[in-house]
Amino acid sequence: MIEVRGLVKRYGRFTAVDGLSFEVAAGRVLALLGPNGAGKSTTIRAVTGQVLPTAGTVTVGGHDVTRRPLEAKALIGYVPDRPYLYPNLTGRELLRFLGRLRRVEGAEERARELLERFELTRAADELVQTYSHGMRQRLTFCAALLHRPRALVIDEPMVGLDPRGARDVRLLMRRHADEGGAVLLTTHSLAVAEAVADEIVLMSRGRAVARGTLAELRRRVGDDAADLEEIFLRLTEEAA
Amino acid sequence: MALVAMRLRGSLNGLRRRPWRTVIGTALLAVVAWGMHALTVRALRFLDGYPDIGTIADAVARRSLEGLLAVLMVAVAFSVLTGAIGTLYGSVDLPFLLSQPVPAYRVFALKVAETYAASAMLPAVFTVPVLVALGGERDAPAAYYPIALLALASLYALPVAVGALLALVLMRLAPAGKAKEFATAASVVVAAGLVFGLRALRPEQLQAMTPDEFERLLQGFAALQLGWLPSSWAADAVWQGLAGRFSAGATLLLALALVVLGGLVVLSSRAYAAGWYRAEGDAPWGGGRRRSSERPPAWERVLGPLGGGLVVKDLRLMLRDPSQWSQLLVLAALAGVYFISTASVSVGIQRFRDVIGAINVAFLGFLLAGVGVRLAFPLVSLEGEAVWLLRTAPVRAWRIVFAKFLGALPPMLALGVGLGAAVAGRLELSPALAVAAPLAGGLAAFATAGLGVGLGAAFPRFDSVNPHEVAVSSGGLLYMALSLAYAALSTLLFAYPTWRSLVGGRNAFSWTAPDGLLVLAALVLLCALFTLVPLLLGSHRLSRWEPSD
Repeated sequence: MIEVRGLVKRYGRFTAVDGLSFEVAAGRVLALLGPNGAGKSTTIRAVTGQVLPTAGTVTVGGHDVTRRPLEAKALIGYVPDRPYLYPNLTGRELLRFLGRLRRVEGAEERARELLERFELTRAADELVQTYSHGMRQRLTFCAALLHRPRALVIDEPMVGLDPRGARDVRLLMRRHADEGGAVLLTTHSLAVAEAVADEIVLMSRGRAVARGTLAELRRRVGDDAADLEEIFLRLTEEAA
Repeated sequence: MALVAMRLRGSLNGLRRRPWRTVIGTALLAVVAWGMHALTVRALRFLDGYPDIGTIADAVARRSLEGLLAVLMVAVAFSVLTGAIGTLYGSVDLPFLLSQPVPAYRVFALKVAETYAASAMLPAVFTVPVLVALGGERDAPAAYYPIALLALASLYALPVAVGALLALVLMRLAPAGKAKEFATAASVVVAAGLVFGLRALRPEQLQAMTPDEFERLLQGFAALQLGWLPSSWAADAVWQGLAGRFSAGATLLLALALVVLGGLVVLSSRAYAAGWYRAEGDAPWGGGRRRSSERPPAWERVLGPLGGGLVVKDLRLMLRDPSQWSQLLVLAALAGVYFISTASVSVGIQRFRDVIGAINVAFLGFLLAGVGVRLAFPLVSLEGEAVWLLRTAPVRAWRIVFAKFLGALPPMLALGVGLGAAVAGRLELSPALAVAAPLAGGLAAFATAGLGVGLGAAFPRFDSVNPHEVAVSSGGLLYMALSLAYAALSTLLFAYPTWRSLVGGRNAFSWTAPDGLLVLAALVLLCALFTLVPLLLGSHRLSRWEPSD
């Protein structure tokens, strides 16, 4: 569903992503894991068409994000790490606007269903600026799911969520994959990656230092009992 | 000092990051300063050389300086209101600085200094060259310059303190979370009122004066005493400085400035917490009123599909944001002032009325250029940090830019065509010019809306918090230059029907004759060029825009 091949992104002389390759098949959850500045968010932005790759290709559902951005973007639901929304719209107005922008059939009904699912019905007609951070994050999930995307791309999904919200998001990602969708997420949280990801790409300084299931990563460090934190530290130290 | 050094370092780094912007900005400031200096020298030489008023020339110059200082002092007071709220309450570094083991008064002293610098810098660019020119023309001693600058710095400190105090009060009284927007709206409304007030003085009456009447006016002006105004104290300090003396007025002004600035620092430190929560946000959800319902209103169902929902969304956001809707008041004030000014010209001869009609055609273009910089240019940037919603949607940048154009066009078209038709009707212009006026307004509306939205998309500033800031950029300057170029070129094309009407009489030119159709085609082509090229350029640049962090 999502395929990244030899992705390079440079800003002047600084290389944010350096030859990254991975793919996320339908029904799978892939986590990009790495420290700050590893290039995770830049990768996500390249996948969602917000930045143009310096080299390499990104395809979503077979559509090149650079050459056929509309077809690729139509398949993606995106949740950024910071839920910036229009503060002077209500939650319902925001979803109505996105429904029109994306030409979603039955958008009103779908919005109602999502507001209910994310427990935002009571706040739906009040301005977004009155929402807490967690509510904005949940509204961003509503916005991402409004058009029933086949690929869900989530940057730091747990930021600002309370434990219950975090659990719901973990279940949501898992369910989306189980229903045939693909999920690509970035996270600092080893626990999140361990709990939901079928596959993990460890990133450091713009490169993938390791890739595989948790079991495969354990084998790679030669310790079947190692938790993800130990694996992460050993492999990123090796790469450094 | 460490805080000030840190702030200066940050500003310098910011300038280094955008060298071209810095060069262009500095060049512009230099041009303005040079212009003010040259203007002052010419004005002083004119006064000194004016027959029979040699004895009062000095007093007239002094009153003029007082007037300039008073006007700029008021300008500082209005601009400081929003600036103070933003700096004293909205600075992103404030929570960090206040969490450091540094006394709060030192942090707020820095913030007061920042507010002062931001509000007084531009008026100073206008005033310092005037004071330097005055010193040069009057052969002032070296001591004059520091005295004059100190008097100026002390004078501008007063409105900064008053404006910042008003900001502190507003933070306590304005609806929660709306203080910044209300301050912006209040400033804009008062500024629009001032423009009207100045126009009400009818300065065109000066043209009808005889030399004797003008001399009597100057003598009355020279005798005018407004000693209670701080601008008079400052002017007194400057005049005493010309003789190398540090006057009592200067001492008083300096002492007052230090007291009010010090008081402001203390008060800001104490009033901070109470205002902070109101500045940060609205009442949490559940306490606010419902702003939408499950079924959209009828007007929204009609306009909804327009521009992929962007037009309706932008309209809602504008009506809910005082810093945006207050721009419409400025627009109305400008239109009112323009109409009154043109309509107040009473000329009996048709040919002269047509000349004024032709000038009106040129001025309409300039007026719409000024409106567009506030109304059309910021539209794309107003997406702000929510722009990711558009960038990740399956929507071409062209569709976004065109939707913004559709949003900007109706008010500008109404203004251009409405004013053109109203002025043509009021002046009873010849048929050719009666058509030319609304036509010029309509075409200028298309061109300036296209230029504004297109260049606004090509040079977006998604980090700006209000529409005023967006236009203060290299893109804004380019917009002004190109929209003025459009106004000049279209005036050249309109010169032909004007010339034919003036030379050949009322009905010498017809827009439906071959030459009329040719002029019309050239005008439409010019308008299309200035509308479509910027929109296409803006779409292209917006599609390649990338977030910087």
